[in-house]
Amino acid sequence: MAAGGAARHSVAEHAMEAGAVPTLAIDGLTKRFFGTLALDRVDLTLQRGEIHALIGENGAGKSTLIKCLAGIYQADGGEIRLHGARVEPWLHELPISFVHQDLGLVDELSVGENVALVSGFPRRRGLIDWRGVWSQARAIYAAMQVEAPDPRLPVGTLGAAGRAILGIVRALARRSEIVVLDEPTASLPEPDAQHLFQVLRTLRASGKGIIYVSHRLNELAGLADRVTVLRDGRKVRTARLADTTPKALVRDMLGREIGMAATAHAAGGASQPVLAASGLWIGRRGPVDFEIAAGDVVGLVGLRGAGQQDIGRAIFGAVRPDRGELRLDGVPLSPVEGIPERIARGIALLAGDRGRESAFSGMSVQENMLPSPHIGGEAAWRWVAPGRERRRIAARLERFDVRPRNPAALIDWLSGGNQQKVFVGRWLESKARLFIMEEPTAGVDVGAKFAIHQLLRDAAARGAGVLVVSSDFEEVAGLCDRALVIGRGRITADLHGGDLSVDNLIACSSMGREESGAD
Amino acid sequence: MASDQTSSLAVAAAAPAVGVGRRLGEFTATYGLALVFVLVMVLFGLLRPSTFFSAININTILVGQSVTAMLALAEMIPLATRQFDLSVGFHLGMAQVLIVGLQVQYGVPWPVAAVAILLLALVVGAVNGVLVARFGIDSFIATMGVGTLLFGVSNWYSGGQQITGNNLPASFTGLTGIYLHIPLPAVFVAVAAVLLWIVTERLPVGRSLYVIGANPRAAELTGIRIERHIIGTFTAAGFLCGVAGIMLGSLLQTGTPSVGPEYLLPAFAATLLGATSIHPGRVNVVGTLLAVLILAFSFSGVQQLGAPFYVQYFFNGGILIIAVGLSVYAAQRRRRAATAADTSLELKAGSRPAGGEGRKADGAIRNPG
Repeated sequence: MAAGGAARHSVAEHAMEAGAVPTLAIDGLTKRFFGTLALDRVDLTLQRGEIHALIGENGAGKSTLIKCLAGIYQADGGEIRLHGARVEPWLHELPISFVHQDLGLVDELSVGENVALVSGFPRRRGLIDWRGVWSQARAIYAAMQVEAPDPRLPVGTLGAAGRAILGIVRALARRSEIVVLDEPTASLPEPDAQHLFQVLRTLRASGKGIIYVSHRLNELAGLADRVTVLRDGRKVRTARLADTTPKALVRDMLGREIGMAATAHAAGGASQPVLAASGLWIGRRGPVDFEIAAGDVVGLVGLRGAGQQDIGRAIFGAVRPDRGELRLDGVPLSPVEGIPERIARGIALLAGDRGRESAFSGMSVQENMLPSPHIGGEAAWRWVAPGRERRRIAARLERFDVRPRNPAALIDWLSGGNQQKVFVGRWLESKARLFIMEEPTAGVDVGAKFAIHQLLRDAAARGAGVLVVSSDFEEVAGLCDRALVIGRGRITADLHGGDLSVDNLIACSSMGREESGAD
Repeated sequence: MASDQTSSLAVAAAAPAVGVGRRLGEFTATYGLALVFVLVMVLFGLLRPSTFFSAININTILVGQSVTAMLALAEMIPLATRQFDLSVGFHLGMAQVLIVGLQVQYGVPWPVAAVAILLLALVVGAVNGVLVARFGIDSFIATMGVGTLLFGVSNWYSGGQQITGNNLPASFTGLTGIYLHIPLPAVFVAVAAVLLWIVTERLPVGRSLYVIGANPRAAELTGIRIERHIIGTFTAAGFLCGVAGIMLGSLLQTGTPSVGPEYLLPAFAATLLGATSIHPGRVNVVGTLLAVLILAFSFSGVQQLGAPFYVQYFFNGGILIIAVGLSVYAAQRRRRAATAADTSLELKAGSRPAGGEGRKADGAIRNPG
């Protein structure tokens, strides 16, 4: 591998200046589906030691491009060259590793076993050589100059960042020099993402080429060297990241200027708050005191494990607080109440983990939108006429812009963004007083994100309270009227007005560490 | 990998025919069992035209299979929440021993005995439910244990001997009789099926059961009380087992402690085979009944062609494997359909002007089996 000591950008820049043959060159790649162009003469080059960001709205062609590289699709035109030699991924496997959002790790197995699942189990006299398994894992981490966890630890005990890093390290262990990362940080909270970026920089310094697919533009700064923007299957442009701005990139992605909607919200005033929490202790951490006024969108942010999610779930009745008092519209909530009672009182919660806590896999969109009579406050034994329900669903699909507009489609057929709209629609139609939304737009593209934000603002404008539990600081800064920063189960900052900015949120949540992504 | 490539290719190649092909696929997936049923009737009707369609044959089948059908419906209820009830066969046996035994040995009038048995059935079902839902014992283990206990009770009560039902009242034996060409047990099954269909297809509580089966954690977060629902499903299953046992006692007119366990597999097979059709991928009333009828009529047809009695075991075992195999295959097909839907949507998004919210093709690359 490349000798260490090279400065951060020098490997790639040196290669480019010297006019070296790029590691990977995609030239005029075209892919047609049913006569429609999914990729239209797309070019892209990847140098040794470069992080190349690939961005674009959902459906812009990022996935098709990656699938062509992976040999899942056969391109209709153009060519792919590896070190100058023409290759055909459709026919031959290339030395490219692919790491998807879903890392494919087995939680119950150890780090070493998860590595061995890909690299093979070292054997001695036909039996597994366990010492070899552990040292193999350590060696792979060492080769990437990444600090290794104990290889005997079950993967389930690693943090989100540790798991993502394991996914990448494991993929790269197959002697590949190029790695394609598909939204690796979509589910990672900010600090974990920073940790992962550090690893990516290390890999870059050792000469690997990285294609980095992302929705989050702010995280590219200080990470990617160049960025390629796709729109409608075409390459809009490739630029050095230093020569562009996030705003310009959004414009390139959407093909239009984005007007940041400065929606006015109903003034809370001195009226009674929708929710009042006082002296709330959860899991021996606290106390927490705050109020949510009618018409307010309040953000609840913090590092992973800081306890912001527990607060939302305690209000919803999914977590029992140790002590403290909750009042909804001035009425005290009994601590022995469970989820059904809280829903009946008008509290809604959109769970953050879409796959595990929201989706009913194998069931239709219609059933996923109306899964439980409790949400609408309806009787469990009431006759439901199919025609009436169909009309009700059709209206909701329209309102929440779910695509396709097919109530019979299985939820699994929908893209992540459209699934999310279904789950948001599940709750937002109810006449709840307080909407608790965990990561309402995680993994959702820009267009859908805007739509969901608008729906939340609408709910607030109708006089409900909205509590957004999110680790996406950009989202909280853009959407919320106010943000409460949680640290170790307490409120460490209450930001509003001009103080509510991404920088401040990062600064406050990482407690004193003012500089955020600096390295 | 290879199969993914082929399926993507096939999707791309079959572009114009995709609409028709998919609709045909959906049709066969939904009405497959109904088609098989018609085929079975036509086949054996042609092979044995004189006997197969005779009223006697049909009524014999309907009466004989009503117990299996009732048990299959019972099995279906907990299975909607993805919980197994392996006690149904033993439970059936116990109810059958008791309904005859209480009359013969204690002279209890049959309606009183029936009410007592149904109450006991509710209790047994609730015990199953509590063990599974409250104590968190795997349903496979819990119901197997309870079932074996029930088998012990049957043998204890009867001393392992057959209880001969001398002088059983006509009102009791008539429960499984035929009136106006209609077999009464089939009417009982029809009533239970209609009620169960209404609950599972038209009431929110039925959807809650499927929702729990699909994702219990998510179900809980929509306010569904899982424990209550699961206990309810086992209790309802227990009740239907009691009904089936009373029917079986009336049919056999003896209380035989060894009878019962052999009913589990056919009921299970029918329920799982039923899950491949009407609502592919989930147990459902119409599919279950169709499956019972297919199994019964095709077995009867094969018998009329001269097959020996033991063929029925090959039948039930084979059907169980085929049913599960078909449902696995259907799941794979659906996953492929998801990939196809993904691709075609990508096109729509691509052809729309910028700003149109598209979709995420990522699912397709992550999901393939």
